[in-house]
Amino acid sequence: MTDSIPPALVCRDITVRFGDFVALSDVNLSFERGCIHAVVGQNGAGKTTFARVAAGLIRPDAGAVAIDGQPMPLGKVREARRLGVELVHQSFALPPSFSIAEAMEFGAERFGPVFSARGLVNRWRSHLEALDIDVDPRKSIRDLPVETQQSVEIARAMVSDASILILDEPTAVLSPTGAEALFERVRRLKKNGVTVILVLHKIREVLAVADTVSVLRGGRLVAATQPMASLSASAIADMIVGGTSANDDDANALVGAERPRHASAATTGATAAILQLDGVSTLADGEGPPLDDVSLELRPGEIVGVAGVEGNGQKTLVRVIAGLAGLGRGGIELAGIDVSAADLAERRRLGLSIIPFERNSEGLSLNSSLWENWSIRSLLSGRLLRPIRPGALREQSDAALKRWDVRYRSSEQRAGSLSGGNAQKLIFAREVHDGARLIIAAQPTRGLDIGATAFVWQALRDARDRGAAVLLISSDLDELFDISDRLVVMLSGRIVADYRPPYALGAVGAAMTGAEA
Amino acid sequence: MNDLVVAILRSGTPLVYVTLAGVVAQRAGIWHLGLEGVMIIGAASTIIGIVLTGSLGLALIAAVVLCVLASVLLWFTIEKLKANPIIAGLGLTGLGVGGTTLASQSIFGSQASITAPFGLPRLGEAFGPFASLSVLVAAMPFVVALLWVLLRRTRFGLQLAASGEHPFAARGAGVEPARMRLFALAFGGVLAAAGGAELAAGSLQIFAQNMTAGRGFMAFAAVVFGVSHPIGAAFAAMFFSLVGALGIRAQLVFGDAVPHDLLLALPYIATVFGVWLSGRLRGGAASSAFGELRDY
Repeated sequence: MTDSIPPALVCRDITVRFGDFVALSDVNLSFERGCIHAVVGQNGAGKTTFARVAAGLIRPDAGAVAIDGQPMPLGKVREARRLGVELVHQSFALPPSFSIAEAMEFGAERFGPVFSARGLVNRWRSHLEALDIDVDPRKSIRDLPVETQQSVEIARAMVSDASILILDEPTAVLSPTGAEALFERVRRLKKNGVTVILVLHKIREVLAVADTVSVLRGGRLVAATQPMASLSASAIADMIVGGTSANDDDANALVGAERPRHASAATTGATAAILQLDGVSTLADGEGPPLDDVSLELRPGEIVGVAGVEGNGQKTLVRVIAGLAGLGRGGIELAGIDVSAADLAERRRLGLSIIPFERNSEGLSLNSSLWENWSIRSLLSGRLLRPIRPGALREQSDAALKRWDVRYRSSEQRAGSLSGGNAQKLIFAREVHDGARLIIAAQPTRGLDIGATAFVWQALRDARDRGAAVLLISSDLDELFDISDRLVVMLSGRIVADYRPPYALGAVGAAMTGAEA
Repeated sequence: MNDLVVAILRSGTPLVYVTLAGVVAQRAGIWHLGLEGVMIIGAASTIIGIVLTGSLGLALIAAVVLCVLASVLLWFTIEKLKANPIIAGLGLTGLGVGGTTLASQSIFGSQASITAPFGLPRLGEAFGPFASLSVLVAAMPFVVALLWVLLRRTRFGLQLAASGEHPFAARGAGVEPARMRLFALAFGGVLAAAGGAELAAGSLQIFAQNMTAGRGFMAFAAVVFGVSHPIGAAFAAMFFSLVGALGIRAQLVFGDAVPHDLLLALPYIATVFGVWLSGRLRGGAASSAFGELRDY
């Protein structure tokens, strides 16, 4: 019946290998014109690889791609763009020093090759207006809030009037209201005849916006462009997870199916606070917005979640607790001791542990061995010229890594050779120990697959049950709602709201964007 | 006063050309520490070319071809052999300085310097006090302006900058960062050849071993000082040569009262100061020289 109109995008038998790892295996997908298609799956299921193959960024080892019935040369971005395929990346991909107008121009072929400063702005003002993006084209990319930056990315993708727009995990950095605005934009693009392919990992979002859904798991296709009408949320969830052993609330949180009710109530009594931030303000330092009069108290046996759109001071919060950001006003107490002027080593001695934002650059030394990465905890707290016994440290680290179920060949292997989940387990093995009374977990599950994510959640809960306080910073509200005993919201370097379960998505989302008075 | 301006133009022009080569490379993402090597290859091949062929045109063609080849060699080691750009650049400098010494000794024996019978055309009497300067000096401001247009006011310049700042973004737009870097280095080879030719044949008509004497590194500093902007970097290069010219004046004025070596070191001290200052002004951006290129 659709013989006369070929599908917008057809992928046939796509296989992509990275070394021994098979990222995509014989994937066959076909997307009809003028619809919103969702592609879902866990982290590591191959969604991003699929998007990059379709956009010509990755050349598959086998298979073929056709656009509107025309074969697309593989692995050639220029050809893919000429045929009308554009991709908006998960982590934004525009040069931060460029102005918006420059970011539009550098990938466009709409106008002449030479321009004046004013002419460049005029070229792109109407383009932005046509897409309802209200922003000054002279502004620098780096100065834009994330939600505007994403709109600009979409505008960049539309410079040559793309007919197929692929968005890779576009909601990962957005607040719930931001996501709703994005979906509205996507629906308008659909109305203008654009075929939109959304790579998502939350079922709630799929239900909200998509016409069809395709599910990938472990690089294989589980469901191909099924109309949404024929599927229930739980059926999609089963296809994504493929039967893991996590409990029901966790399973729902993992796939963003429905709001989990909160499992355990906080057991906070009259115990003394482990961490007390008292009206803390930091000095501006160009690494994010400074903190502005932040007060926060953590008691033993509670997990406090920090919600917020990324870039609203969460990194500064972690750095000031670690003693790495200049303290302007206010005081910090750890276990009842004023540490406002203490260095990180002193704070760690008092029981501070940090699972940092960037596990590959801040959490591990990728070129050092596993045992070196593990034992740095004890090495840093000792005297500088104390001799060390590598043999003993290797044995201790072997025992610890076994206990944490890290999969590795030898404790001499480089930390950089571990997978994301195992690397995070190594960090947990180092940071989460009996002496850890305050655990800062910054985006601890980002990029991990479902099994590793469930493991991390369990480890944080165990630490809480043992009496540690946990500060969990995350941009995944499902994660926060599932495991936090208490939730605060950060906006522009301030804590603007404080919630206890049961959490209401609407209220938290509004607080994240400042919509709440 | 005129003397001072002529002296600054004479010593500054070679530096400006080489600085521009560094600016183009930096825009494309390569901190070019091989400038010294490419510059001395340009200087040596111009003079040796004139002596051997008796033709300025052939000598300049040889200089451009050899400098471009050396730059492409740098691209190849960085891009294909995955060498660290800083180390590869320093290696190219060693190759240039050592290679030109070897070439001049094997052709002319162990002479300290080689003198050519003529050099680049001069501006002539019509230009009054500037008569003794070469045509490359007069062309310099236009080259700077053209490069500014190319880098800051064309789509090509934006693609070059994107390749340097965010290679992944460039690839996403269908631009091949590796190809852009090849162009940037090869084009820089032409500019550095001009700088070398001006240094050796602009006023002196001499090639001496190691005659660049750190000017390539000073040009690199001007790239940093000038924030990789062609006009800013050109002014930075002229500032360094101003300090040098003032140092020579100071020798005449102060005589033996001030140590001779200290005055000769002035441009280098100014270089360090300039790099420090630009680092302060930009919040330490210069340290990104050793940062990884983002390509994920």
